[in-house]
Amino acid sequence: MFVARSIAADHKDLIHDVSFDFHGRRMATCSSDQSVKVWDKSESGDWHCTASWKTHSGSVWRVTWAHPEFGQVLASCSFDRTAAVWEEIVGESNDKLRGQSHWVKRTTLVDSRTSVTDVKFAPKHMGLMLATCSADGIVRIYEAPDVMNLSQWSLQHEISCKLSCSCISWNPSSSRAHAPMIAVGSDDSSPNAVAKVQIFEYNENTRKYAKAETLLTVTDPVHDIAFAPNLGRSFHTLAVATKDVRIFTLKPVRKELTSSGGPTKFEIHIVAQFDNHNSQVWRVSWNITGTVLASSGDDGCVRLWKANYMDNWKCTGILKGNGSPVNGSSQQGNSNPSLGSNVPNLQSSLNGSSASRFEIREFVR
Amino acid sequence: MEKMSRVTTALGSSALTGRTMHCHLDAPANAISVCRDAAQVVVAGRSIFKIFAIEEEQFVEKLNLRVGRKPSLNLSCADVVWHQMDENLLATAATNGVVVTWNLGRPSRNKQDQLFTEHKRTVNKVCFHPTEAHVLLSGSQDGFMKCFDLRRKDSVSTFSGQSESVRDVQFSIRDYFTFASTFENGNVQLWDIRRPDRCERMFTAHNGPVFCCDWHPEDRGWLATGGRDKMVKVWDMTTHRAKEMHCVQTIASVARVKWRPECRHHLATCSMMVDHNIYVWDVRRPFVPAAMFEEHRDVTTGIAWRHPHDPSFLLSGSKDSTLCQHLFRDASQPVERANPEGLCYGLFGDLAFAAKESLVAAESGRKPYTGDRRHPIFFKRKLDPAEPFSGLASSALSVFEIEPGGGSMSWFVDTAERYALTGRPLAELCDHNAKVARELGRNQVAQTWTMLRIIYCSPGLVPSANLNHSVGKGSSCGLPLMNSFNLKDMASGLGSETRLDRSKGDTRSDTVLLDSSATLITNEDNEETEGSDVPTDYLLGDVEGEEDELYPLDPEHVHPEEPEYVLPQEAFPLRHEIVDTPSGPEHLQDKADSPHVSGSEADAASLAPVDSSFSLLSISHALYDSRLPPDFFSVLVCDMLHFYAEQGDVQMAVSVLIVLGERVRKDIDEQTQEHWYTSYIDLLQRFRLWNVSNQVVKLSTSQAVSCLNQASTTLHVNCSHCKRPMSSRGWVCDRCHRCASMCAVCHHVVKGLFVWCQGCSHGGHLQHIMKWLEGSSHCPAGCGHLCEYS
Repeated sequence: MFVARSIAADHKDLIHDVSFDFHGRRMATCSSDQSVKVWDKSESGDWHCTASWKTHSGSVWRVTWAHPEFGQVLASCSFDRTAAVWEEIVGESNDKLRGQSHWVKRTTLVDSRTSVTDVKFAPKHMGLMLATCSADGIVRIYEAPDVMNLSQWSLQHEISCKLSCSCISWNPSSSRAHAPMIAVGSDDSSPNAVAKVQIFEYNENTRKYAKAETLLTVTDPVHDIAFAPNLGRSFHTLAVATKDVRIFTLKPVRKELTSSGGPTKFEIHIVAQFDNHNSQVWRVSWNITGTVLASSGDDGCVRLWKANYMDNWKCTGILKGNGSPVNGSSQQGNSNPSLGSNVPNLQSSLNGSSASRFEIREFVR
Repeated sequence: MEKMSRVTTALGSSALTGRTMHCHLDAPANAISVCRDAAQVVVAGRSIFKIFAIEEEQFVEKLNLRVGRKPSLNLSCADVVWHQMDENLLATAATNGVVVTWNLGRPSRNKQDQLFTEHKRTVNKVCFHPTEAHVLLSGSQDGFMKCFDLRRKDSVSTFSGQSESVRDVQFSIRDYFTFASTFENGNVQLWDIRRPDRCERMFTAHNGPVFCCDWHPEDRGWLATGGRDKMVKVWDMTTHRAKEMHCVQTIASVARVKWRPECRHHLATCSMMVDHNIYVWDVRRPFVPAAMFEEHRDVTTGIAWRHPHDPSFLLSGSKDSTLCQHLFRDASQPVERANPEGLCYGLFGDLAFAAKESLVAAESGRKPYTGDRRHPIFFKRKLDPAEPFSGLASSALSVFEIEPGGGSMSWFVDTAERYALTGRPLAELCDHNAKVARELGRNQVAQTWTMLRIIYCSPGLVPSANLNHSVGKGSSCGLPLMNSFNLKDMASGLGSETRLDRSKGDTRSDTVLLDSSATLITNEDNEETEGSDVPTDYLLGDVEGEEDELYPLDPEHVHPEEPEYVLPQEAFPLRHEIVDTPSGPEHLQDKADSPHVSGSEADAASLAPVDSSFSLLSISHALYDSRLPPDFFSVLVCDMLHFYAEQGDVQMAVSVLIVLGERVRKDIDEQTQEHWYTSYIDLLQRFRLWNVSNQVVKLSTSQAVSCLNQASTTLHVNCSHCKRPMSSRGWVCDRCHRCASMCAVCHHVVKGLFVWCQGCSHGGHLQHIMKWLEGSSHCPAGCGHLCEYS
């Protein structure tokens, strides 16, 4: 199913993040060696490094692309307590360095007093906005009021999370019914069990972000968090990478039922929980339609999770990090026992239509 | 601090014990220095000069050296150093340029020993000779270094750096006569103490001031320097030219650097601005600190390892008026917390994955290792416990490319490009789209389209004979529905003629058709509710009866079981919505009770929204009394659209919405529609399907969506004759009153796609210009411009 293409990244230290652009034709990597590299896909499908430059004076934790409507723009964040916005300037066509792009730093966001652990552009419909989170537990939301001027960013909001933040994710929904929302994960390793995922929602009336929900069941350090692409769904799906992979759905409770003006209430369900990585899970990433989740953990594998028609999530593939893909069937057999224990429904539903019919009957009653 | 561990280190006769702790000072510290017995530390600052005993649990103030009533500038210390051979001897560098020595052995309260007032400006650094008891070196802001013999009243020799201020001076441990000095202009100089006239060697180490240097305690040729350029560099001074061995990038200017005892490659740094933390670096991994001490709330000004042979205790003084003892074990380790992996899902289903090589390698290497005991143990490399280092960390980057077909997103692109959304009768659109979906292997979607066609289109367009025939035939081969639709599609071309020729007498078979389509949907209700709905049962029975009546010929025909067997698989996802819709059976009941009334009502309603192309068909519709009205299904169809949207297939939701238009639009929340449109448009743009995206924008009825096409698009055009900007709207130039949109190749006015060179304003038909540019790169208008089209 998958063909592994190994790329000589030539970073001098660990790579901490990989990010595809909006169209999937470019890729950015960032590393502890303080540099960011941009890779372009050639016609033949090969990835070529077209730019590599020193971005920070510390480990670069994350790199992310802005919507191309705003130009070829990257944001990076680093251990050096800053986040930076970069724009690509393509040289004159008669330039000798044709094809070699040139990235210019447009701004440095220096508000954090500690390591900036994540940076994410807001969904396009919100304009040119950027959220950062830092190890001191503050989420900052910046806006470029003039989208043509990438060097001017104003700090719009500071949300205190009280916990060292490790990751953030914007809710990508473009619906007017869904207020801007941001989920924050914490990797705070203090022994007391505090909820590590908080969700903040923008309140139109107070013009502030207020805490909407806390995922009380997640008490282990969270390394990554990702809202699934919404694509017209009425609910939100959130993947959390902690000591296992978890998938939550957040269904907004109807406005009429809640007191108006306050934050939206959500019906939160955990729809899947997998400890197949047998260790810390570092990254989660959704496919474009929000139907397949990829997770990677300390076992060096990427696992793919997909829901069947009964909304039972199961493993649909395992990819080994050293480039050797593992195709579903044999591996899947191994992973099933633990799967079944996590999701009791799954085993029965695998038995075929009779089980699923039973489910429906229950539903009707 | 409670969690902090306690460490006891045996060092020959003496033992060091302690924990991470701090004590408050009265004033900010500028420098600290440790006594050679590792039990006392001196802290000096502008208004503090105290000696603390380092006990197991705490610091205890032992002596305040600031005595006397009136504060003297001589006591405002920039630096302090404790002699490493004589426990009673200290030296301070005062901000007024005085170098003071202190003798703790003096019986009086005032321990001040000697005063050297030779520097004109602040003395930045004082340094005792490591082995010679009476030699003291100072470096000052005035650019001079002075060597004092403590047995004499004034300096023995003066060294002029011939440049700006001296920031640090440090005696070499290896060469008795050598010392290094660093300067604000970025230079490092090496001096022989016997030759004050000129330096032995000089090189530029940093951009900007070099704030500090430290000789390696063991590797004696190594000198570490730290500068305002945020770098720590390690130089090998044994070679003829100083050779840069390592370069560590820190996040702020480096104020102090100290080699860690017993760890050949470790050094500690602190910064004088912005950053309050102390870092310990492994110079071989220059980007990530090995350890980090975060106790201080203000700039750390002085750091010192407690004992020259103990790597675990670090002392520090800070501008936040605290003195700290840090335990290496309690340090936070950024390396451990750093994320070792990166993962990103690509647009087409590709996965980019970067992982720490050891993780990936461990995965493949683990199994044979545990199972195979033949590997001799002595092959294992012995690790230095004090300094574990597993080589430079690096990551493996790979892209898992999805093969076309299995799970890739190519179906989305194909579907988007091939779907017909408008411009043809509804039935044709549905058929076309069903065909597209089926060819892409998306049977469920194909079936949905077919059902939509059955629901919304005039029955005349579906030749009943075909359908019935296929149902009968299909039942024998096990996939009746799919087959039926296939066959029906093949025959759909005949549709309209068949309809026109049809007489009233066909009503009956049309009823069958309609009811069978109802069966198709409602039989699930039936089976789920286990026959509780009598009217539905009745209806089904009725239909079956009729069909049997019509086609009694097939002996293998096991009709009653057939839909139950097949449908749960084929139309399974619809099950949800249908179950969700309790109104279905009720409607049917009404229908059964008074078919005539409700039927005609609904047909009348269906007349209104139908396009002109359908009007003829619709009129003939009204004749069929028992036909179920499309409105009856609209709840189901809406549910279906919602279902597809929730499944992540917004493409289907939007496509159906557009194709059905007014038929369903009113039943779906305006906001939801807009949400679907924006989501789908966003997806299309991701896949660079600009044309489809524009078409969807154009066809959408949502106000917010359809204005997307008009917002913020400005066209600036120059007239191709007078080359002035066109001011008026339209394509006629104000000045030369000629049409500007002439094709430079064929000299006709261009309608449709007009392409022009931004340099000379000439252009024309896209095809013509493309053809022209194959042969020549000059402008076809003859203006001599080398045209550029991107």
